[in-house]
Amino acid sequence: MKERIELPQGTLDLLILRTLALEPQHGWGISERVQQMSSDVLRIQQGSLYPALHRLERRGWIKAHWGTSDNNRRAKYYELTKAGRLQLATERASWQKLTAAVAQVLDPA
Amino acid sequence: MLKDLFFRLRSVFRRETVESEMEEELRFHSERQLEKYRNTGMSREEAQRRVRMDFGGLEQVKEECRDARGVSLLETLAQDLRYGWRTLLKSPGFAAAALFTLALGIGANTAIFSVVYGVLLQPLPFRDAARLVLLHETTPKVGDVSVSYPNFQDWRAQSHSFSEMAAVSNVAFNMTGTSQPENIGGLAVSPNFLSMAGVRPVIGRGFTPDEEKAGTAPVLLLSYALWQSHFGGDRRVIGQTIRLDSRTVTIVGVLPRDFRWVETCDVIEPMGVWATNNGTVAERGDRGDLTVVGRLAAGVRMEQARAEMDGIAARLARAYPQANDQCGVKLQPLRETFSGDARPAMAVLLAAAIFVLLVACANVANLFLMRGAVRAKEMALRIAIGASGGRIVRQILTESFLVALLGGLAGLGLAMAGIPAIARLIPADTLAGASIGMNGAVLLFSASLVVLSVLMFGLAPALHAARGNVHADLKEGGKTTSGGGRNRWRGLLATSEIALALILLVGAGLMMKSLYRLLAVDSGFRPERVLKMEMSLRTAQYDKDPVVIGFWQQALDRVRALPGVESAAVGTAIPLTDDHSRTDITMEGTALSKPSDYPHPDTHIVSPGYEKTLGIRLLRGRGFTDADRENAPRVALVNAIVAQRLFPGADPVGKRFSFGRNRAPQWLTIVGVLADTKMYGLANPARLEVYVPFRQMAASEMVLLVKSGIEPAALVSAIRAVVVSIDKEQPIFGIATMQEVVNASVSTRRLTLILLALFSGLALVLASIGIYGVISYSVAQRAREIGIRMALGAQRGDVLRLVLAQGGKISVAGIAIGSAASAGLTWLMAKLLYSVSAVDPATFAAVAFVLAVIAMVASYIPARRALRVDPLVALRNE
Repeated sequence: MKERIELPQGTLDLLILRTLALEPQHGWGISERVQQMSSDVLRIQQGSLYPALHRLERRGWIKAHWGTSDNNRRAKYYELTKAGRLQLATERASWQKLTAAVAQVLDPA
Repeated sequence: MLKDLFFRLRSVFRRETVESEMEEELRFHSERQLEKYRNTGMSREEAQRRVRMDFGGLEQVKEECRDARGVSLLETLAQDLRYGWRTLLKSPGFAAAALFTLALGIGANTAIFSVVYGVLLQPLPFRDAARLVLLHETTPKVGDVSVSYPNFQDWRAQSHSFSEMAAVSNVAFNMTGTSQPENIGGLAVSPNFLSMAGVRPVIGRGFTPDEEKAGTAPVLLLSYALWQSHFGGDRRVIGQTIRLDSRTVTIVGVLPRDFRWVETCDVIEPMGVWATNNGTVAERGDRGDLTVVGRLAAGVRMEQARAEMDGIAARLARAYPQANDQCGVKLQPLRETFSGDARPAMAVLLAAAIFVLLVACANVANLFLMRGAVRAKEMALRIAIGASGGRIVRQILTESFLVALLGGLAGLGLAMAGIPAIARLIPADTLAGASIGMNGAVLLFSASLVVLSVLMFGLAPALHAARGNVHADLKEGGKTTSGGGRNRWRGLLATSEIALALILLVGAGLMMKSLYRLLAVDSGFRPERVLKMEMSLRTAQYDKDPVVIGFWQQALDRVRALPGVESAAVGTAIPLTDDHSRTDITMEGTALSKPSDYPHPDTHIVSPGYEKTLGIRLLRGRGFTDADRENAPRVALVNAIVAQRLFPGADPVGKRFSFGRNRAPQWLTIVGVLADTKMYGLANPARLEVYVPFRQMAASEMVLLVKSGIEPAALVSAIRAVVVSIDKEQPIFGIATMQEVVNASVSTRRLTLILLALFSGLALVLASIGIYGVISYSVAQRAREIGIRMALGAQRGDVLRLVLAQGGKISVAGIAIGSAASAGLTWLMAKLLYSVSAVDPATFAAVAFVLAVIAMVASYIPARRALRVDPLVALRNE
């Protein structure tokens, strides 16, 4: 098993939004997808995933509806709203700016 | 924003749905996770264990989701209120104690604030009243004096700081033609006064600009109260006439109900009507009873107006050196002239009430901490199953809020019951027509007190509960070990209660000593069994001096003949009422150059027997006799101060002086010296005073003084009959015994003392309950320790000392802090004190002693309980 990294503050929302940009997904699916896409480096704590989902829903960036999961059970699916898409773009831009800047500091050209 | 609210509201009102959805969502997650782990070949038990570990506390996650949904604020509030209400019902003793304590604190504050608001803060019933300014003149000799009418006219013409100015003069009338002749008070105003103040008559008209000049037709406005009491509120009153001083005056309007002025105001007449009847208006040196009200022009500040007026006054002083020598102008916000002198007493009382509330809050905080100890386990359990610290703080604060709210409501009830009683104790001239009662501002004040109390008594216990040690509190024996922090808090609170109570007691003690000293002052007269009644001879027949003198002589002769009367006299002034006329005098054989150098004594016109009736000591020479009449040599009496200051080292008897400044001197010979009397209030020093016989200088306004061998009030109707027999249209007013006059002169101090004593008593009781609570709780907690000590051979005395030492520490600290704080605070009430230092050591010592004794008693009672601890029982309980 690879070494896992603690999620930096504030990145959870970005990861959730990014994941939901691909397709509507339920909570478990989101955490699986993040783990998969990060080659098992990032793992979302369930304890923080659900409060984050409810918070994003309240902000109006994602909305929820009940659907049927691939194994035929009722599950709560989340999808991005228009506002959510905008938010994702903003957060992605500022994240890239941040990482680029941090990288520059660590390895000056 | 709206969407957010909608989201929150759905979470609250569709609570069941939202909760079950959350449940289902989380269950789905666990099941999928479980499947996943099973697929990797884990055993069922192992997989379930892993899922649980991944999740952490399920309840905690749910709670955080609720928080994230914004449920918390609204939903938990409702939940906490329900829960809080149930817990309060479960511990009625605690609830009753907390409620009662807070009700007292909030009630006292509400009652006092309603008085402070009514008397000092309530906006005056005038348009943009904050920009209205009262102006009067000042002289170095007297201080504040009235304004002369010509000076007012020059001010108005020359100043630019005021958009408008109006003269306002106090006037009085004898009103006849109604059931009984009456003396009424009123105002004569410049016609623009009403429009400037934004006062619109409820019926009829205001005044017109022509009504400023002498010779205008006599008209007046009725006060609302007089309209109701004498005309039954009849709207047809406009155009009717009434008789004032035997002149016929037409009613042209009625003032609004809320109109009020510094003095009683039954009617208002225009300045022109007043000028018609007062020939002296045109004289610059004549200062009657006139003040000026101005409205500051837009953008002009008080200081600017003051600077401009100073300049104008200086110019007028140069232009008219005889009338205006050294005369300045004083500007004062109009609001301050209404009951302004009640300000120090009100400030002290409000501060005292707030101290009572602080003590009450400390007591309730103690109750909460004590209950917090009992509930520590409940709280620890809630934290263990997922409640966040914030959630616990909120819940305890909600309970505190509930207690404060109920306490506030009860306090409001107490205040409503108490306000009329307090309002009755307020002297009428302090009240100045203000109404004291419950209103929006007072309610707002009480509501903010409720919120403040919650913060004061609720925050510490709430934070404490949230910080609670879960492990220790959940252990079976946890109760006895976890109280350390709480006890520190409780000790601190009890200490501050003692300190606050001490401050209040010192205040009450200083006030009591002042009042005692004040009433023990040598007033220079004897009020016992002396009745006073005032009369003002105002009708046309009294225009001639002999008629006036004849009236008084006749009244005196007939009153002296009444059975029970020991002596009777008339005089223009009586002690303790600051109501005097003053004039410059010229001493024979002195030549003074500057007008301001002349002595400026009060002139009292009195009849023979004046000093005997009032019990004023005659120090030298003789008093007036019936021989001091119109054509006899003119004589005068002086008081001791005149003798000391104007005739140092010489006998004034036989010396001569004249009124005015040297013009055609008409000498008066001094025939006697009277002891100084407290003419201006017990706390005020005597001034220069001269007395002249009433037959040599006629006065139409006099006070009849009657000393009797019997209860003086019994004579009132007989005296009334005497007056009616001379002039049936002559009103009598201001009937009181001199003892009542003495009481009225200290009424503000008395009211302050009564309330301070009440508040400090309350604080004392609360503080002793506080210290009692702390000690008895600590005795209960230390039962085991005491048991061990006793088992090891400690004597009763040792145990008693142990417990009392704790109480002693609290009270000594409280007394030390309180004394230091008092010393820093009592200067605030220096204005209310009389011949007592604000840091009077005797008062401080006495209060500290009383407090120490009470604190000892309050700790001794629970300490005795410690002696009854049975070592065996205490140890077995462990």
